[in-house]
Amino acid sequence: MTNDDRLVKLDRMRYTKNSLSSALALLAIVFDVLYFVSIYQSNVGTYYYNILMGASVLYNLIFMLMAFLSSEGVKNYKPGYSWLLIALGAGQIVRIFILPRMAHAALVKNVPVMDDGQYLWVIICLILSAVCCVASAVINLIKSRQLAAHVASLEKQAA
Amino acid sequence: MAELSLQHIDKIYDNNVQAVFDFNMDVRDGELIVLVGPSGCGKSTTLRMVAGLEDISAGKLMLDGRDITSMPAKDRDMAMVFQNYALYGHMTVYENMAFSMTLRKENPNVIHRKVLAAAEILDLTNQLNKKPSQLSGGQRQRVAMGRAIVRNPKVFLFDEPLSNLDAKLRGATRREILLLHKRLQATMLYVTHDQTEALTLADRIVCMSMGHVQQIGTPLELYDTPANLFVAGFIGLPPMNFFDVRFEEGQLKGKGFTVQLTDAERHTLRAYNGQDITLGVRPEDICEGSDVAVKVFSNENLGMNTLVYGHMGDGLRVCAKLRGWAQYRPGDELRVDFGRKHFFDKTTTNAIRGEA
Repeated sequence: MTNDDRLVKLDRMRYTKNSLSSALALLAIVFDVLYFVSIYQSNVGTYYYNILMGASVLYNLIFMLMAFLSSEGVKNYKPGYSWLLIALGAGQIVRIFILPRMAHAALVKNVPVMDDGQYLWVIICLILSAVCCVASAVINLIKSRQLAAHVASLEKQAA
Repeated sequence: MAELSLQHIDKIYDNNVQAVFDFNMDVRDGELIVLVGPSGCGKSTTLRMVAGLEDISAGKLMLDGRDITSMPAKDRDMAMVFQNYALYGHMTVYENMAFSMTLRKENPNVIHRKVLAAAEILDLTNQLNKKPSQLSGGQRQRVAMGRAIVRNPKVFLFDEPLSNLDAKLRGATRREILLLHKRLQATMLYVTHDQTEALTLADRIVCMSMGHVQQIGTPLELYDTPANLFVAGFIGLPPMNFFDVRFEEGQLKGKGFTVQLTDAERHTLRAYNGQDITLGVRPEDICEGSDVAVKVFSNENLGMNTLVYGHMGDGLRVCAKLRGWAQYRPGDELRVDFGRKHFFDKTTTNAIRGEA
């Protein structure tokens, strides 16, 4: 790629959307959905677990809303949404150690609530969701900084 | 290089209605041809046949010597600009302009360069991130033109592109199209029912009526030497005045008035002695004089000119476009002279040229 091509590629960002970051944020929602349809099948039967399940439902709603807003934000190269996506990604990692871990450890009538296969599956879903959030955020940060620098140089040239 | 040739083109619909009859025309490279005529005359149908949006019932369509009569629209290398813009509302101006090339999977950098170049030509650089709903009618039409330009087609087709714009914007956009044509030097076919657009834009005009070509010529030819009554009445604003007269004793005698002729005019009409003909006089060729009496019933001041409407002879209506600011009142009598006169055969409605 020549220097000129690189410059044109950069200039294209002024008029095109950051669709890669946006798609990754939406993909994070998809993996989150896969996670919660799997985890809600589990029922440990304790009061504390049920409370956590309720909190998880609420968190899922908030996560999906925030991730969707972020996907729209990063589409327009807004750097602030990257930090939100990083926070959401970190949240997905933290979630591995709450419900899935409790469900995997619990036994009801000597039968595990969640077998190893299911446990691995929900962990993978949460990790992929987190990776998508962070990747979307990092790509957006890089691109938005490149774009800001490019626009600044254009303004400087114009002045 | 794009030379278009329409040879004996007919359009017959499934219900046996014939919309276009034996259309023949050669469009030279870089020429701007305007198809003009009233609604339903077949001009848009002809354009759509050229674009490949309508089948050609009979005849041949050639582009640079290649027969494209039955070639699909997408392979014809023509771009069409529609009256209703046909922009995608959810896309930005940039995306609208880039869309056709994106579908063809062209290099994004090449697309970007072409879109920016077209936006520069059309003064749309600052609008590229806007959606069509945020633009004025004129800007939307420029976007539609930009979408055509980026494709770099062999032929541009315009189907009444200015009809949705208000009068002021129409004038401005018309001038932009003219500048665009001068800049691109592209072959263009332009359909309109507005004769002002036709006269100001065209290298040559094709005047159509009822599916038939009435006359093909430069704007001046159509204005100055119309081929028949239809062209004479259609081109020019206000339209030409027509009077039924008889050529007798070197004069034209109408109902209640007589018009004197020059030697050249008498020579033109030499074969019509004693016969009824139609006399045509443009309002701008009527001036205050002494020949014919006109009883005024309306006076419209346009600033530079005044349109005076009146009756002459036995109640024949006449419109005169007089220079300057005149203030005739209804009932005033005015005497006028006819300047340039046009003569038409009463039977064939063709212009009488006086050829031997």
